[in-house]
Amino acid sequence: MSDINDIPAHALERMKGLRGAANPEGIFTSDFSVNEFLLVRKAGFEPIGLCVGSCIYHLGFQMAGWNTNQEMTTLSQAMYEARELAMSRMRTEAADMGADGIVGVRLTVKRMEWDAKVLEFVAIGTGIVHAAGHEGYKGPQGQPFTSDLSGQDFWTLLQAGYRPLEMVMGSCVYHVAHQGVLKSMGNIGQNVELTNFSQALYDAREIAMERMQNEASAAGAEGVVGVDLHEGSHNWAPHIIEFFAIGTAVIPISTELDPSTIPDPQLVLSVNS
Amino acid sequence: MAWFGKNRGTDDEAGRAMAQYRQNAWAYALAHKQLPDFVEARLKDAAAAKIPWMSTMQPAELLLAKSHGIRPLATVTGTCWFHYGYSWTDGHVDGWGAAVDRLKREALAVGANAVVDVQMRTVQSKDGRSMDFTLFGTAVKVDGLPPSRDPVIATISALEFVRLLEMGIVVCGISVGTDYNFLDFASGYGNGFGGGSTGGIFGSGPAYQVQQQLRAFGGNVPITELTNFWESIRRKAHAQLRANAKRIGNGVLARTHFGELLRVERDKQPPDYLGRHIVIGTVIETRRGDGIPHHIATVIDMRDELSPLNGGSTGSRNTLDSNNEYSGGI
Repeated sequence: MSDINDIPAHALERMKGLRGAANPEGIFTSDFSVNEFLLVRKAGFEPIGLCVGSCIYHLGFQMAGWNTNQEMTTLSQAMYEARELAMSRMRTEAADMGADGIVGVRLTVKRMEWDAKVLEFVAIGTGIVHAAGHEGYKGPQGQPFTSDLSGQDFWTLLQAGYRPLEMVMGSCVYHVAHQGVLKSMGNIGQNVELTNFSQALYDAREIAMERMQNEASAAGAEGVVGVDLHEGSHNWAPHIIEFFAIGTAVIPISTELDPSTIPDPQLVLSVNS
Repeated sequence: MAWFGKNRGTDDEAGRAMAQYRQNAWAYALAHKQLPDFVEARLKDAAAAKIPWMSTMQPAELLLAKSHGIRPLATVTGTCWFHYGYSWTDGHVDGWGAAVDRLKREALAVGANAVVDVQMRTVQSKDGRSMDFTLFGTAVKVDGLPPSRDPVIATISALEFVRLLEMGIVVCGISVGTDYNFLDFASGYGNGFGGGSTGGIFGSGPAYQVQQQLRAFGGNVPITELTNFWESIRRKAHAQLRANAKRIGNGVLARTHFGELLRVERDKQPPDYLGRHIVIGTVIETRRGDGIPHHIATVIDMRDELSPLNGGSTGSRNTLDSNNEYSGGI
């Protein structure tokens, strides 16, 4: 059964300690797992380098009325601008290395222990190129596309006949009104909806999603996949919440695939659990 | 009763002498970049199949390895407890480097072509001034290949290793990239970053600008100099990762990232900043543009609970903390 022939000759050569001369292009870096690497390759792309952008940002100050529902525009803008700066630096790195796009982008926010008003935003992902030099995968304005899809999801998206255009996002920081004392007293012993809270959350989420959708339209997308809605409070006062919508804007590859040509996933039941 | 035959304790005279002998042998071996004779002998016996092979492989991995002509030989290890004289950050390069060298020494002694399923373990000492870097994995031999002079080190499971070999991808080593620097008032950007500052508290250097931007009351402002400083550190760490990897392969899968930016308060003066970044990756060698020969079928698992298809990955086993990755949601 021992079948050494399954292993390509150049792989065996490397195991013997011989370096191949087959790689004049130099070296790539990535943060892929093995399976991600394989699927990006299967999709016809090659990784070329890790792309990172960061931004350390000082958040401005804004007063909110104690009993009003309102958007904290200063904070909304800050959270958006800082992310955008980190993303655009990452995109510049990708463009400099000649990437067609970036997959597996992770966008993180980190609080600085030493200053509550300072946040660090980091965007990191792997720049990839089409192995056969196909130009049609770039994002808007010939810039590298960006996508938070993993290598696996990237392959699957292409199988579905779509390609990623741009990571789109919308941010809204919102102050939820405190209840008046009389109102609170009135609620004692009753099961009631706190309508001002409901309204505030609805409004804030809606604003964040609209902003994301506007970005997708501007990018010329057909739709947005993998939308995620985050609610977070970055060490702010208890009634201030950020709603953040993020997803990958996609567009059909040339023309939309006839759905009948996309293979149905097979249903399986694994028995080796 | 076999235990009392070969594995004697250290209670009696002969046992104590033996223990002393082993300790001396280790000290000599580590100092001279060699292996103690008893380790050498054990690995030689394992290579000649005189003693049972020992492997971290699971049965499924053994199956796939066997079907591709790959045999486990022995579990091999490399350890280096490293003290940081001047830099915790840079210590990671030297610590892992020494551990890899020692792992290779054992792999060489057993006549291996590769060490697979290599796991990286660390132990922090209480005082924080030293740390243990340990590697262990399974030395394997490919049927028909002579023993390698420089066995490849694969930080992935045997299953993955064989699967990748089939596709012409050789996982061949570990690369570490680090950098650290101080942003302070006296010297601008520590070790020669950027143009340096004019110095002094009232200067216009980068650290002074950081201070000004942090003071901006009520305003949204990106702290440009601190960002640039921080990015330069990360870039240098990545450049080192790339340079170290280039000596063994032509690609890096780097799943482990660690970075922190600390503020060092000073008496009656503006604070300094210390930034450091560590990135660790698995190095591979592959021909660019090689295809993936297997067909990939899309499946949906109908199991409700965790299944082998949707739970856990066997891809990366690096253990270093990564507080960049998990430091909070988006």
